[in-house]
Amino acid sequence: MTSNLVRFFKPLASLKLTIVCLACAMVLVFVGTLDQVQIGVYEAQLRYFKSFFLYFSLPGSQLKIPWLPGGYTLGGILLVNLVAAHVSRFKLSWKKTGILILHSGLILMLVGQLVTSVFEEESQVQLDRGQTKNYSESPYLDELAIIDSSGANTDEVISVPASRLAKGRSISLPEAGLTLQVNDFYENAALVGSNQLPSENYPHLRVGPMAVAVPIPRTYKQDERNQPAASVSLIQNGQQIGSWSLASGFPQPIQFRAGPKPFAIVLRPKRYYRPFSITLEEFRHDRYAGTEIAKNFSSKVRLVDPSVHENREALIFMNHPLRYAGLTFYQAGFGNNDATTVLQVMKNPSWLVPYISCGMMALGLVIQFGMHLISFVRRRVIA
Amino acid sequence: MTALFVHPGRPAVSNGIQPGGLLLLLSAALFCSSCNQSKIAIYRIPKESVAIETSSGSLVPAPPAMLPKWTVPSEWKEQPLSEMRLASFKAEGSGGQSADISVSSFPGDAGGIESNINRWRGQVHQAVLDGDSLAQTLERVTVDGVPVVLVDVQTPEGAEKPDRVIGAVLRTADRTWFVKMTGAPAILQAQAENFKQFINSFRFPNQPEASDESVGSGKAKSTNDK
Repeated sequence: MTSNLVRFFKPLASLKLTIVCLACAMVLVFVGTLDQVQIGVYEAQLRYFKSFFLYFSLPGSQLKIPWLPGGYTLGGILLVNLVAAHVSRFKLSWKKTGILILHSGLILMLVGQLVTSVFEEESQVQLDRGQTKNYSESPYLDELAIIDSSGANTDEVISVPASRLAKGRSISLPEAGLTLQVNDFYENAALVGSNQLPSENYPHLRVGPMAVAVPIPRTYKQDERNQPAASVSLIQNGQQIGSWSLASGFPQPIQFRAGPKPFAIVLRPKRYYRPFSITLEEFRHDRYAGTEIAKNFSSKVRLVDPSVHENREALIFMNHPLRYAGLTFYQAGFGNNDATTVLQVMKNPSWLVPYISCGMMALGLVIQFGMHLISFVRRRVIA
Repeated sequence: MTALFVHPGRPAVSNGIQPGGLLLLLSAALFCSSCNQSKIAIYRIPKESVAIETSSGSLVPAPPAMLPKWTVPSEWKEQPLSEMRLASFKAEGSGGQSADISVSSFPGDAGGIESNINRWRGQVHQAVLDGDSLAQTLERVTVDGVPVVLVDVQTPEGAEKPDRVIGAVLRTADRTWFVKMTGAPAILQAQAENFKQFINSFRFPNQPEASDESVGSGKAKSTNDK
């Protein structure tokens, strides 16, 4: 059985494979870093590191040809390569303790990074002074929310990711026999006054009596957000309930009825609801005396979680985030003449893994080099 | 995917499993887990009123987080909200006439007071006016420390379908608020006093002072910005 295992893992344990993967990783980091200037950090992460392959298309062709393995592929191969190397060359010996701990730390780091990249959730909560929210919103993703408000105490939300919306697409919703028909979709749109249209034929969606959404190119700028717009119809049992033009830049729910039930529909930044709420009590933007140079940003918030009778104040400031229910709230921004705070909300189930793995690798190195040092010193003493 | 590993009659491990197969399996697992973001989700949330719903992503121009307080004249009936309306009312008069009153709000200067008032003028077939001529047709007051421009414009004499717009544009530090009453001239005349009282009743919570930093930007700043 052991020999079978070794035979299976041997080709995977190839050192040549490691070298090729590391070389590819260097190229990937290099081109990803260069492209990051054009497409921003978020898009570069998606395209280069949270992907299986990098593709190029021949001019005039829709065919995508892979030319370099992406981060997931390289990380996966390196992980298998490292595990295989241990299985096929594994010899239990005190002399190898350091290497074993070091490599275990490296494996843990690779697995931790994988878990982070799959389960990490990044969002923001923007609060005006005195405002309370029980949700945060994605700075990148949008959702088309269809809200069934017929319940006495709760609303039921059907959330369709904006990435699913495309012109002409029909989407069956898992509720009440509803089908969403996408009549038009702009990946990014600007809201302008209806009188600012160059002509009536210019592509636009009328999102209100005073404003129209016009398509604009996708933005990759760090301080800008893509704001999709869509024209959608809802169909129930073959009958059209209504058609609406919606824009994420103006996320105002539109109310309608489907049979006896009251509903609302809205295109908005994707929301992450929490079982607790946060209220901004005070935001401070302290400056050095006589200057406009920022000295300190802090948000005093009240955290209320009725399920565990939690009701307390917390002060969030630089390097002092609030950690609660697996989430970390960092001070990230401000606005509205210092009356509004923006908190970055991170959910990362494996946030401790890099600390543990780095500790393991450091320990492994110390043990390995320590053992070499001791044996070297001993040899010198004997000589 | 498992078919790659099945070779009947031989033990699974020694049957020529290709290393590529294992990599493929790992890739598939990764791929499936990364699909989560594009799934349609259903969830229940505690009921929230539409008025509280009107917040948005941190870096997008947004409807107001907090509505001003106002007192609605007793003759006005609330109407269902639609599209961009933050409040909607109807006032009924004699002979089946009715006036439609709406409140809406946009970040920043919403394209400028002048262009918006000229758009209202266009709706009652009045000519577009430039700065000075337009200013002469407007009345300026202050409500709760907020500058307000009042507009009253109607279709030219002899119009086939007489129409009138009485409006108010309120400019707070970071937003522009539009209150508009439309309908036949007679009913609007009867409701003009109510409209004025409605505007005077506006009270804005946590009204920040106007500054270049916030006016018209509609954006939050990062604490990392220099």
